[in-house]
This record gives sequence, C-alpha cells and structure tokens, in this order.
Amino acid sequence: MALAEICNISDAPYMKMRNFTTSDLEQESQRYVSNLMNPYVLQAPPFENPVENLNKIQASSDKTGIKIEFDHGTTTLGFKYKGGVILAVDSRATGGQFIGSQTMKKIVEINQFLLGTLAGGAADCVYWDRVLAKECRLHELRNKERISVAAASKIMANIAHEYKGMGLSMGMMLAGYDKRGPGLYYVDSEGSRTPGNVFSVGSGSIYAFGVLDSGYHWDLEDEAAQELGRRAIYHATYRDAYSGGIVRVYHMTPNGWINISNTDCMELHYKYEEEKKNKKH
Amino acid sequence: MNFMGIEQFPDYKVPGTQHQDFSPYESNGGSIVAIAGDDYVVIAADTRLSSGYTIHTRKQNKLFQLSGKTVLGSTGCWCDTLALTALVKARMQMYEHTHLKTMSTDAIAQMLSIIMYNKRFFPYYVSNVLAGLDNEGKGVVYSYDPIGHCERATYRAGGSAGALLQPVLDNQIGFKNMQLDGEIPKVSKDRAVAIATDTFISAAERDIYTGDAVCINIITKDGIEVKEVQLRKD
Amino acid sequence: MYAGHQVIPQQFWSNGPAPGQFYNFTGGYNGLATGSANQCKEYTTPGLFGTQHSSSPITTGTSVVGIKFDGGVMIAADNLVSYGSLARYQDVQRVFKVNNKTIMGAGGDFADFQSLKRSIDQKIVEDLCHGDDLEMKPKSLYNWLTRVFYNRRSRFNPLWLEMVVGGLDNGEPFLGHVDLRGRAYEDDVVATGFGKHLALPLVREQLVEGKKLTQEQASDVLRKCMEVLYYRDCRSMPKYSVVVCTKDGSVVQGPFNVNENWQLATMVKGY
Repeated sequence: MALAEICNISDAPYMKMRNFTTSDLEQESQRYVSNLMNPYVLQAPPFENPVENLNKIQASSDKTGIKIEFDHGTTTLGFKYKGGVILAVDSRATGGQFIGSQTMKKIVEINQFLLGTLAGGAADCVYWDRVLAKECRLHELRNKERISVAAASKIMANIAHEYKGMGLSMGMMLAGYDKRGPGLYYVDSEGSRTPGNVFSVGSGSIYAFGVLDSGYHWDLEDEAAQELGRRAIYHATYRDAYSGGIVRVYHMTPNGWINISNTDCMELHYKYEEEKKNKKH
Repeated sequence: MNFMGIEQFPDYKVPGTQHQDFSPYESNGGSIVAIAGDDYVVIAADTRLSSGYTIHTRKQNKLFQLSGKTVLGSTGCWCDTLALTALVKARMQMYEHTHLKTMSTDAIAQMLSIIMYNKRFFPYYVSNVLAGLDNEGKGVVYSYDPIGHCERATYRAGGSAGALLQPVLDNQIGFKNMQLDGEIPKVSKDRAVAIATDTFISAAERDIYTGDAVCINIITKDGIEVKEVQLRKD
Repeated sequence: MYAGHQVIPQQFWSNGPAPGQFYNFTGGYNGLATGSANQCKEYTTPGLFGTQHSSSPITTGTSVVGIKFDGGVMIAADNLVSYGSLARYQDVQRVFKVNNKTIMGAGGDFADFQSLKRSIDQKIVEDLCHGDDLEMKPKSLYNWLTRVFYNRRSRFNPLWLEMVVGGLDNGEPFLGHVDLRGRAYEDDVVATGFGKHLALPLVREQLVEGKKLTQEQASDVLRKCMEVLYYRDCRSMPKYSVVVCTKDGSVVQGPFNVNENWQLATMVKGY
C-alpha cells in the first residue's frame, strides 16, 4: 500500500471503503424532510435542469407506462372596483385528460385580508401560499401591523424568482385590502409581478376576459360586480374543456374577505338560459 | 481523458452485453378506493404487485396503518411507496415522542403533502389516498397528486384503475347528476364496503394491474377491522 | 433566504467543488469538497443528467430462485458469472450464508455485488465484535438493502443487482426480493431474472394454498427449476449451489449438477 500512498491515490474516492453506514443513510434521510424545518429548502434533483431532464425520464412513457401528471388548475379572474376586489374561480383540476377533481379550492385564504388564486401546478401554488401565509403572520407579529398586498406579493415573486428555471408552474393573483385600499397583484412562476385592475389567468382566461371587459366598470355596485365575476367564469367553463365544476366568488371588502357564493356551473347554465329566454319575449 | 487527476478507462465493448437505459421509475400498478361516512371510513386496495407483464407477488398489502384511526393507501412506483411510507412512519414516531400524542389524521395529511413536495424536482411516482377519522370522529379521505397537492374528499379512487373506478363512485356514492329531492342520501358502512368490493371486482375485469385479492380496512372509533376478498387471479 | 429563516445553517460553499475544480450542479460526487474523508460517495463524472454512470451490467450472474418450506428457506443459483455472452467464471458462489439466521443470493452485476458484499461482511464482523449473541435477522438485511438500493437509484447510480434474502425471523421462515430500484416484496417463492419467467410457474404449481412444502420437496423442485433454467437460459450453466437455512443454522450445499437430458433434442424437428 506504500506505493499507493506515495502516488497519492489512497486519497482517491474509489480507494475508500464504500460505506452504506447508518450515519450515511441518516444524512440521506435528513435530506428527505429538509422542508419540514425550513420550507425554502427543497431537495435538489440528482440531475441538472429538472425541466428538461424530468421530461427525458418521461419520454419513454409509452414503453414504461410512467407519466407523472400533476393536477392543473384553470380559469381564475380578479378585478378591483370601488367596493374592493372580486375574485372568481372555477373548481376543475385536470391531470392530463383526466378530471382529477371537480371540487378543488382555487382560492386560498391566506388570512382575513389576503386571498390568493391558483392556476398552473396545484401543489406549487398551495405549498407556496402556505409559506406565504406563515411569512405574513410573522410580519404581523414583528411589525404590529398587517402586511401590505404589495409586500406579500413581493415575497411570492421572490420565491418564484429563486426557483426560476426549475419548472415551477404558477400563475396566481394576490388580492387584499390594506392602508392603500384594495390591492390586486399578478405573480407567476417566471418571477414577474404586476399590479393591475383586471386580471384573468388560466386556459379559460380568454373566454372570461370577453365577458369581463364588456361588463367592467369601476363604479359597479357590489352585487353587479359579483355577478360579473360569476358570469365571466361561467362562460369560461362553457367554452374551455379544462374549466368547470363550481364557480366560487369571493369579495375582498375593507373588513376582510367574504365568500359570496359557490354555485355549480350546471345550475348557472340553466339560470342564464332562463334569463335569455325571458329577454327575448 | 483525464478527470480530477484520474485516468478514465475507455468503455470496452463486451459482446453480448446490452446497453440498458436506467429509469429510476417503474410502474408497479395497484388501485385504491376510499369511502368516508359520518362515523366510519373504508379504504381498500388490491394486493397485486406487478411491472410490465410480470406479476411479482399476489399478496402485497398496499395499505399502511399509520395510527389507530389513519390508514394510508399508496400505489405507483413501489420503491417510492416504501421510502415514503417509511419516512412518514418515522416522522410520526418522532412527533409522538416530542408531543406525547398521536398525530391526528389532518396533521398527517398536511405532513404527507409537505414531505411529497420536498421532492418537487424528482417526484415520488405514487398515487396516495389517506383515509381516517378526523378530530370529531368523522370519516375523511385525502387524495394526493405525485408532488403533494392534497384535497379533502368523501370518496376517492386512485392508482392504476383510478380513472376506471372514480366514475363508479361518482354514481354510486356521489349520486352525481341525478335529479334528487333534497339531500344526497347517506351511505351506510356496509353499503360502502359492498361498493368498494364491487368496484374492485369490476377493476379486476378490465385492468391488468389490479387483481388477486382486495384488502379492506374499515376504520371506526372502535378500531380498524381488516377484511380480504379474493379477486380474479388472471 | 430571508433574515431569521436560516433554520438549517448552511455551511459556506458546502456543496461546492474543491479549489481548482469545476462546479457540478447536484452531481453525486462531493467527496473531496466536504472534507469528510471517511464518508465516501460513489465516484462519478459529469455527463448527461449531471452525472454519468455505468448503465449496463458487464459481469453478470443470472437467475436466483428462493423457496420457503416447512421450517426453513432455501435459495439456489448456478455457479456461473458471465462476461457478456462469454461464460467467463465457472466456479463462483452466488448464494451465501450471512449468518445462522440469514442467507442470500445475488443476480445482476457481480462487481456491484462484491462491493456490497464487503459492506455486509463488515456488518457481520461488527455483530460478532459485540459478542452479545445477537445476529442480523433476515428482515434487517432485507430492509437495509432496500434503503441502500433506493438511495443509489435516487442518485441515478444504481447497484445493478437483484437480490434474494431469506432466513428465519423469530423462528418464522422469511423470504424477500429486492431489486436495483429498491422495490422489495416478500413471498413464499421468489426468483430473479429469467427465473421469474421460467422457475416461478414451476414452483407455484407445487404450492398448494395453506400447505407447506417439506424440505425434500423444496429441494426437488429447486433442482427441477435449475434444470429448466439451464435448458432455456443462455447465461446459465448446469452446476448450481443451494444455501439452506433451518433452525439448525445455515449451510451452503453443492455444487450440484442438474440432470441433463438432451435425448429430446433429436425429437425437435421443423427448422
């Protein structure tokens, strides 16, 4: 072994004992729960560029039958008007062609003055919204006042930017009410963050925009605004196959959010049908 | 070729060896059905473990009893299932030692979601359905996607025949799209067990990865009752 | 990330390369950088998926068959280790006594197995050093193997093996199978490789629900399995060994020769 030492190869990794020891495995298992301690620390994949390489693993799915399908959310909208912010969403979750759920909650109640909508990867949105909820609560405890919508959305945008290029898929609106009045921000997984008055996100958003833009007005009355949101989502569920289920409407008022309605879109369909008939006569 | 001061040997061509692409995932099949009621929850899974056209074993239990009132059903890539359930069990034991109480079903559901999301960029290829009694003693079912999106439901089918079984449950338990007067009828425990069994008999007819036997766990406040019903073995 | 959230303090440049080396994003190799000389991860080079590993077994062992019988377990495998299509090493044991309670057999890449075997031997030595008459039970070995295999596959550097573990766990026969991904299951009869297709049906035919085989029956059916495997598996040979575990301990028996009968070859016509 002396020669090995002189040649300095005894330090080489392949000369060492392969140890599958307890401590080795312990370290490994610690890595599997890193985000229980610190939610920002996710396990790094054993390959670079997860977007591309995860797809490579799935490329032979016709042979192996392996296709990882994440639940995806779909039509969401939000707009500001004189009475606060209206958020309206559908409730269909699709994994590929299969409707995984018809009752998904696409509005996350972060706290009494902050709501988040969910489009794209359901798990991504829900997980990071939960982290955001924790962050907002800590802000309250530290600063003795509620976090502004601007600050909350900035935290979310920072998270998205941190994981940019790793394949997160999120398109969320954050709605809230703070000192500056009603707040509405769009944040997505590319790291962009935009304040605005009217947003719609998801595959059905084009249909929702059609209805929304034609009826939108800053001085809408509460009831009319809620109805506008509901109607816009209904029309998206009617035309977009990836949207459907229940139309949920939330209203963010100066006193916090209120859940206005959760209506099955089949019910809405017959209601609107009826209205149309009555108009004709 | 020289990397890190170590000479790389050229790849020798050995006649008769086949270059195989390694896939970390494998689909091992299996289905789960869970139905929750007011004071019970029923969860069932078949016992066939296969990959491709090979059946490895006909008596692999896919239901993991996590506590006296929580059972996790897990199918998909069996090695991921083993790793995930072992991890959940270990974390539950740690919780028990620090807090001197057993984790509630809702807590387990949330933890499972977080643990699965930890591997967001190299996911566990599993289909999980968690069944249990909540703090009020009501039956609950949680279902998951591979990266930990979790949804609370009252009935759910998952696994290889999940897409085949869910519509049956929608009809038999959800009474979807039926012109009912008033409330959706409640499903009794015996009826739930019967429906769960029937769905598996149907799945065994049409899904090659489901069959052999179905293991049923019935969770009530009195404990977990385990039943097994034989299915087609072909 | 955010101040006050460093719950897990990060070591400075903890996963980085040693000075003068290249950063290999999440690649398996960080042996030198962490400075933990006694902790050695597998040696890998950057490539596709960040790291490149040998993705095909070269020196391979073929099928292993294991059966439970009344009061014990036996595992059989032939004594051949092939080098591609070459029948290279013709007198190699592939079934082992781990201790008096535990036995195992290995198929797949033999180099990977030898490396793993050293760790298993080390564990046995540790058990002996404690001198408390406690021995590793088959279930412990089985479970340990699943973790090792799973961790390796999770790093995209699998141990290209299929292992059969058997023995007596608290007096009860135990038989399990673990593959390169860490997929594991227990059954009354398990097989690896070609044996899964050729041997399993033969054994299952002998098994009657609720009735156990005697040791003699098990031994006979294994002999039959090895014979069939020899006829049909190109990477097999007629010489095989059996390891048996009963309450009296574990013994490796053999090598035995299968009953070759090529008479019927003359009957095969039509080509």
